[in-house]
Amino acid sequence: MIRIGEIQESFRIAFEGLQANKLRSFLTTLGVVIGITFVILMGWFLNGLDAALESTVNLLGTDVMYIDKWSWSGGQNWRKTMQRKNITYQQAVEFCNSMKTAEVSLPEAHKWGTTVKERGRTITGISVIGVPYSYSQLPAGTILYGRFFSQFEDEYSTNVTVLGYGVAKALFPEGDAIGRTIKIGGRTFEIIGVIIKRGTMMMDFVDNQVIIPISTFFGVYGMTGRSISVAVKAGSAEKLDEVRAESTGLMRSIRNVPPGEEEDFSINETETFKEQVETLRLATWGIGIGLTLLSFIVGIIGIMNIMFVSVTERTKEIGIRKSLGAKSSSILMQFLVESASLCLVGALIAFTFCSVVIAVAVRLVPEADFLTPYVPPQLILIAAIVSIIVGILAGIVPAMRASALDPVEALRYES
Amino acid sequence: MSTQLIHIEHIARTYEMGGETVHALRDVSLDIHPNEYVALMGPSGSGKSTLMNILGCLDTPSSGVYTFKGLDVNEMTDDDLAEIRNKEIGFVFQTFNLLPRATALKNIELPLIYSGVSSEERKERAIKALEDVGLGDRMLHRPNELSGGQRQRVAVARALVTKPSIILADEPTGNLDTKTGIEIMILFQELWSKGNTVILVTHEEDIARHARRIIRIRDGKVESDTINPNPATKFELP
Repeated sequence: MIRIGEIQESFRIAFEGLQANKLRSFLTTLGVVIGITFVILMGWFLNGLDAALESTVNLLGTDVMYIDKWSWSGGQNWRKTMQRKNITYQQAVEFCNSMKTAEVSLPEAHKWGTTVKERGRTITGISVIGVPYSYSQLPAGTILYGRFFSQFEDEYSTNVTVLGYGVAKALFPEGDAIGRTIKIGGRTFEIIGVIIKRGTMMMDFVDNQVIIPISTFFGVYGMTGRSISVAVKAGSAEKLDEVRAESTGLMRSIRNVPPGEEEDFSINETETFKEQVETLRLATWGIGIGLTLLSFIVGIIGIMNIMFVSVTERTKEIGIRKSLGAKSSSILMQFLVESASLCLVGALIAFTFCSVVIAVAVRLVPEADFLTPYVPPQLILIAAIVSIIVGILAGIVPAMRASALDPVEALRYES
Repeated sequence: MSTQLIHIEHIARTYEMGGETVHALRDVSLDIHPNEYVALMGPSGSGKSTLMNILGCLDTPSSGVYTFKGLDVNEMTDDDLAEIRNKEIGFVFQTFNLLPRATALKNIELPLIYSGVSSEERKERAIKALEDVGLGDRMLHRPNELSGGQRQRVAVARALVTKPSIILADEPTGNLDTKTGIEIMILFQELWSKGNTVILVTHEEDIARHARRIIRIRDGKVESDTINPNPATKFELP
């Protein structure tokens, strides 16, 4: 039976030992410090990645799919895709009018890589999107401030625009965009709203766009020679299969795809992003786990070595404790607590180091803003548990040697 | 006799050293009763330290019978032996064997930690033990802040704090000057007169003459086992 008093005594001895040999303890824990640092940084990165992925998917809408000429994930025969016919506005409208199962479906016209001007300033690399007023029902159309354009403004090709977050921030950092004007495709538009920030690491282009009524879009850029996307919001994740099936059938019949032939369009879903991120996740894991294991092996050897030294140095003490009635299990525990404490201190150092690194990294690297500026709390717990396990692994052999010492021999030992 | 504390019968202890068998104890039999004051005497190499280690359950005999309070020591596991050392035996060593980084109080608390006494009671009993040996004002001193005599008093307090059946003292005055040695001997005298059982291992006649019974060991055997006819009760500087 292990008694509370003995456990307290073990901790007291462990921390006395740490204090008495500060430099030695620190050097010994370096391997563990590095190992735990990898654990924390890796976990932090993956955590950020997951959160970014989730917010991207959520902002696109988990129940939203886009019917395009192109597939988002690529991977198909490029030549074949190139030969696909554009989805025309008429096909898109026919699709939307016939669609029954989806909550919302609407056509989207895109103009990529254009420029907008505001009082002599020019921003390049902007997408202009022409959509009907019902776009505000999609997660992508969520307004930060101002309003979305109305059915009336849509039907009468009004020159009004809703800015993506990135554009609004670049041109109107004070947030006073509403009521101002901007030049898109050489025409003047009144700004009536700003979309919420949607961009994350993977998708920051979505903030660099301006949205205008689709009728206005065709007035500026023309209707022909472009492929229209159809955004379909199923309404719930459960309805996805049903909506996908209807979409496929509907589009096949609208585009006259003979039975048995491959579709000449793609249905893109937000799941595609998850697949892409999975590769990055696996790479991070692989490298991270490899480095972590390596540094833990080095760390365990270092700690085991110093624990052997500690046992030898304290042979007499072990003899004294045994003569006073310490059982082998008490001595075993004493040394296990000591090596686990050593590793826990290593974890503490690593945690402090990582907190600083993370805070600085997030501040200095704007691309890292999808990561949290602090160490996620669950990682602290994981790091603590891992360090204790490492400590026990490193300490078990020296501790067993200490506990097996013969009391008479140990008492006779003179350092 | 049923009241004996220790009963040993024909015990022997051999060691293997470099392929050779060393006979530290050849054939020793003796009984020790409660409230005896025994001196174990003998020159170095006589086997008296081996005998003390066996009596103190730090070591076990190679052959022979050892019963402690009627329990067969040979049958005991290492944990049982640890418990006997913890509860029944108080060691006092020549080199004090205090933990250098712990205060006097912590040193005395140590055996109580291993017997699972609560921390308040531990502290209370340790303070009492320290006061009993006259060091109530040195509780928070570390061993290196104490004189040799004071250190040995702390060691005696540590031996007494568990209220053991036997106090086993191995050359307790060996590292002390004559004056402090006498102080320690007075302490043992007091302990004995209060009813404790004291076994003193020594090679000094001057020390042994305070005991009531003197057992002389030579070449691993009991050479003589006699009652001291006129034990010294006065303590004088020579």
